[in-house]
Amino acid sequence: MSALRQIAFTLNGRAVTADVAPHHTLVEVLQEQFALYGARESCAQGLCGCCTAIVDGRAVSGCLYLAAFADGADVVTIEGLADRNHLDPVQEAFISCNAFQCGFCTSGFILMTRQLLEQNPDPTDDEIRHYLSGNLCRCGTYPDIINAVHAAAATLHKE
Amino acid sequence: MTPFELQEPDTLAEAITLLDPDDPAVRPLAGATALMLMMKAGLFQPTRLVSLRRLDDGLRHIFIDERGELHLGALATLSDIERSALVAEHAPAVTQACHTLSNVRVRNVATLGGHLAHGDPHMDLPPLLLALGARARAVGPHGERWIDAADLFVGYYQTSLERDELLSEIVIPSPEPDTHATYVKFTALSADDWPAVGVAAAARHRDGVIVDAKLAVSAATERPTRLPAVEAALRGATVCADTIESAAEAAARSVEPLADLRGSSAYKREMIRVHVRRALVTVTRS
Amino acid sequence: MSTRVDPQPITEDRPTVQIGRSIPRLESLEKVTGETEYIHHLRLPHMLYGKIFRSSVAHGRILKLDTRAARELPGVAAVITGADVCALIPEPYYGPAFHDQPVLAIDKVRYVGEPVAVALSEDPHLAEHAANLIEAEYEELPAVFDEVEAAAATDTFVHDALKPAGTFPDLKHLQGRTKTNVALDFSLRHNDAERGFEQADYIFEHVFRTPAAIHAAMEPIVAVGEPRGSSAVTIHTSSQSPSFVRTEVARLLGWPENHVRVRTAFLGGGFGAKLYIKLEALVAVLALLVKRPVKIALTMEEQFYTITKHATTVRMKSGVTKAGKVVARRCEAWWNGGAYADIGPRVTQKSGFTAAGPYDIENVSLDSYAVYTNLPPAGAFRGFGIPQLVWAYESHTDIIARELELDPLEFRRANILRNGRPQATGTIMRDTATVEVLDTLERAMDWKAPRDPGDGNVRRGRGVAIGFKACIAPTTSVAIVNIYGDGSCAVYCGTVDMGQGSDTAMAQIAAEVLGLDPRAISVIHPDTDVTPYDMATLGSRSTFHMGNAVRLAALDAREKLFIMAGKALGCDPGLLSAAGGCVRAPDGRQLSVGEVIKSGFLMQAGNLIGSGSFRPTYTSPSHGDGQSSDITPFWMVGAVGADVEVDMETGHVRVTRLVSVADVGTVINPAIVTRQLNGGAVMQLGLTMSEALRFDHGQVTNASLADYKIPGILDVPAEIFAEAAPGCQHSGPFGAKGAGETGTFAVSPAIANAIHDATGVRIYDLPLTPEVVYRALRAAQHNPLENEL
Repeated sequence: MSALRQIAFTLNGRAVTADVAPHHTLVEVLQEQFALYGARESCAQGLCGCCTAIVDGRAVSGCLYLAAFADGADVVTIEGLADRNHLDPVQEAFISCNAFQCGFCTSGFILMTRQLLEQNPDPTDDEIRHYLSGNLCRCGTYPDIINAVHAAAATLHKE
Repeated sequence: MTPFELQEPDTLAEAITLLDPDDPAVRPLAGATALMLMMKAGLFQPTRLVSLRRLDDGLRHIFIDERGELHLGALATLSDIERSALVAEHAPAVTQACHTLSNVRVRNVATLGGHLAHGDPHMDLPPLLLALGARARAVGPHGERWIDAADLFVGYYQTSLERDELLSEIVIPSPEPDTHATYVKFTALSADDWPAVGVAAAARHRDGVIVDAKLAVSAATERPTRLPAVEAALRGATVCADTIESAAEAAARSVEPLADLRGSSAYKREMIRVHVRRALVTVTRS
Repeated sequence: MSTRVDPQPITEDRPTVQIGRSIPRLESLEKVTGETEYIHHLRLPHMLYGKIFRSSVAHGRILKLDTRAARELPGVAAVITGADVCALIPEPYYGPAFHDQPVLAIDKVRYVGEPVAVALSEDPHLAEHAANLIEAEYEELPAVFDEVEAAAATDTFVHDALKPAGTFPDLKHLQGRTKTNVALDFSLRHNDAERGFEQADYIFEHVFRTPAAIHAAMEPIVAVGEPRGSSAVTIHTSSQSPSFVRTEVARLLGWPENHVRVRTAFLGGGFGAKLYIKLEALVAVLALLVKRPVKIALTMEEQFYTITKHATTVRMKSGVTKAGKVVARRCEAWWNGGAYADIGPRVTQKSGFTAAGPYDIENVSLDSYAVYTNLPPAGAFRGFGIPQLVWAYESHTDIIARELELDPLEFRRANILRNGRPQATGTIMRDTATVEVLDTLERAMDWKAPRDPGDGNVRRGRGVAIGFKACIAPTTSVAIVNIYGDGSCAVYCGTVDMGQGSDTAMAQIAAEVLGLDPRAISVIHPDTDVTPYDMATLGSRSTFHMGNAVRLAALDAREKLFIMAGKALGCDPGLLSAAGGCVRAPDGRQLSVGEVIKSGFLMQAGNLIGSGSFRPTYTSPSHGDGQSSDITPFWMVGAVGADVEVDMETGHVRVTRLVSVADVGTVINPAIVTRQLNGGAVMQLGLTMSEALRFDHGQVTNASLADYKIPGILDVPAEIFAEAAPGCQHSGPFGAKGAGETGTFAVSPAIANAIHDATGVRIYDLPLTPEVVYRALRAAQHNPLENEL
């Protein structure tokens, strides 16, 4: 069988190491070795975004990303976005706009929205829809998610 | 996923020596998105994967050379290409196609080389590269060679690359002035679906006459396919509805669409007709 | 919308404070920080992962099962087969309506994907590898796939004999019935349909079909079995029905219910997929056999082999007078139940009796058949069969209106079933806002406004549809309200919050009674060792049933609180009131709830426990004619208006506006309710436009979200909104009733009716893919597209 190798990376601002096999995915390692469950596997095909993590500033699907590739990288998950007392404006907006129901896809949508607003601080509906087209919400909360993105953009403008 | 060995060479030359020309269970791996899908589904069970992510050969480049040709490194991610101002200026249709190519996370990781070498007929850039007359540089144990994009795709998930050859870059020639290109993606099941039909067209017209036209279809066909006979008929023809309609008709008749979950062969043929027409209308607009 | 109505003996006469408030969900913080607990995340010490080896044939006898290579793989703890299961449980067959489904296949397999064996390892990848090494040999048997053909089959049967569950007296007559694939046939006769047809001026008859589909909850089905010695077991499961799981697993094991503990957490969606037994019996058996915790987490792909939505064929026939009155309707519905009945027979019956639609029709004849086939089992799916029937009767109704050149909305209003009139079962309709829903939709749609029909390649159209549903009956909910020593409060209830916001709604109901802030109330998640019985979280029953139970429990707790406070304040308890976290005397003196408890227990200690149990009245439909004077505790009504644009060259349909209007009674939390309605509409949009399981000889050919496309954000109409029509369910808690499914009812026919409005083309089979629409357009131009092959 395949040998474990140690990888070192930054996880939510902290230097960490993990022992991983080549076939381990990033989402598995986050859950099993760091007890971070905000990224979670659903479709297993990179289509639903439930397993979204940010690697070196770019969003990836944690279920399609080999953990070995995180070696030396800067990894941020939903748990690294804010603490419970100081939510990120995107998190605040998702609450105020009722932009989730079951919540399983929510971390992914929030991280993708963060990325979108970093690249495009004032997106149109159409730009939001295209950017978030790789995230699925079976509860069908999409209209509220679009509202939440606009609300977060407005807050970030004020800051 | 079943366990496998992962190698991460530092140079392209080393990567090539690690590949095995005779063993399909050994493959190169770049962004890994497409291979991971096959591995997770159990369709591909590698013994060894050769990762290209540590290569120091600078295969992420995007530049325009002195002849005005656009060079895209094989390890440039699709996001790199999507966001490149040079690409937007030199090949705006590529930028446009990238916006609806899979999704942001896949584009952030998937590379141009992997996108092409996978040989999947549903990929978005291959037909466009065909219509733009692009060529690919491949490197193997015996040196490098150039492959015309149209010759890269030889069958369903089959390319003309050897198992121990790697793409190093794609070159899009400098377009003649006033060339317009477009890619039309028709999805049948949901907006973010794989295309049921992809059509790419590039054309140049002067004084109401088509000077040059290139046309390729994908997704409905077993491989991205250029349509030289239709292109030839367009050359020298007047820009008008009849010209375009007969080209669309000829395009639809010249391919054998594959039936799948996204449509019957007969339906896809009709959709090729419609979308070739729409693409040609776009690229011949004054 | 906050009219307070009190059906219970204890009356209150103050305006409500917490009802009708859009407070954010109680669990908002956890959900945006990624900390929400789902069973998906659960890992226990020494836990094994199970990977299922599945049948590759649709119907066959198991000749040989070779597990040696899997067992010998280093790191594999065990490989378990049906024979091992039988050693623990001699008759390991389960199901809510029929005891027909084996924990693992025994002797035979009945569909492609049926679980045959399980490989166990501490490493999930190894378990998967081991499962791939298992080999089976089958003697293939003839298989049946189509529901109408299977119902009529004379030589191919999925099961040798019917085995109805003993719990349902109305299924007893089916015991042991052989040589049939019809698990249940339900008939309803209301007056005389044949005579009605004779009196009609026009007869219309059509057949409509819907395909199998899947729920695709984002959290795939998951369960963990944890042995507690050899005579008790805990099951952690993403289940919508923990009480049922306990009862059924205890029955299988021959144990008392108190030896089986079932607990859930938040669910990442359910939609009916996570009801009854899915993985629970299997993980319990595995855990007891290997004496270690065992987790099975399905992949998205495996969900396609686990539970589906019934494919249906529905034949509708109506007799209509020149005046536009529907005087007779006959419906026959065939439900493709797959290889195991699950709750299919109940879908057949409970939805079957509404198959004539929300119309006042003098003569009705309904026949509904639950049919076994060699496909993955079908069960509950948001709407419980109603969307399939509404697809049929609202397409049919629209055809009639348009052929008679009557305004489709007016035609519906002219025939609508109103309060005080008998539904087809004979039950008199009450508290049901059918007319108000149509009126609200008409206004919300601006139905009579002039429209742009489009031209050339793009045609525009508008359609409406309305559907209704009876709530499942009779069912029970029990709740406990517990006030702790510091005055904080918890609600113990078996309702599973799977995104519908039940925790918040229950907290609002308890808070209303106790004068507390709902955000300060905790809702204890289902744990059968802790929370009392609840039938299940299904069929839009929780707000009504559990809401009533919670309200009763809160009233019970409040009564005890007032007695204690009365002593402290020297005041008649009957004169006290609860508000703002305090108990108040008429003279203005008040004590906080915590102070009351301290006064009673002399320190911060003790509990004040109130309990509530709720079961509405019900009269079973009589066998044969399906008549009942009390068929349901309440009716739900949902209507949809849709605007579409049709690309005439491709058949591609874009829904540009989707408006949902529902009768949900009094709205407890408007923000949550409108999202439930919109969410149901978006889900049904997918089932309308693209979703369908495709089969090749029983093998699903699109078992992934790459090939089975659910709606993404780009598919959602630019304009989409939901509105609650004015209504009040007098028997509901503060006038409320269910809302979880109502948004799904009428979406499909509203869109098809809009396509007809735009193009003149009528489509009878879902989904409305571009090719389906294109072929219909070509056929209408007398230039049909050549057929495949």
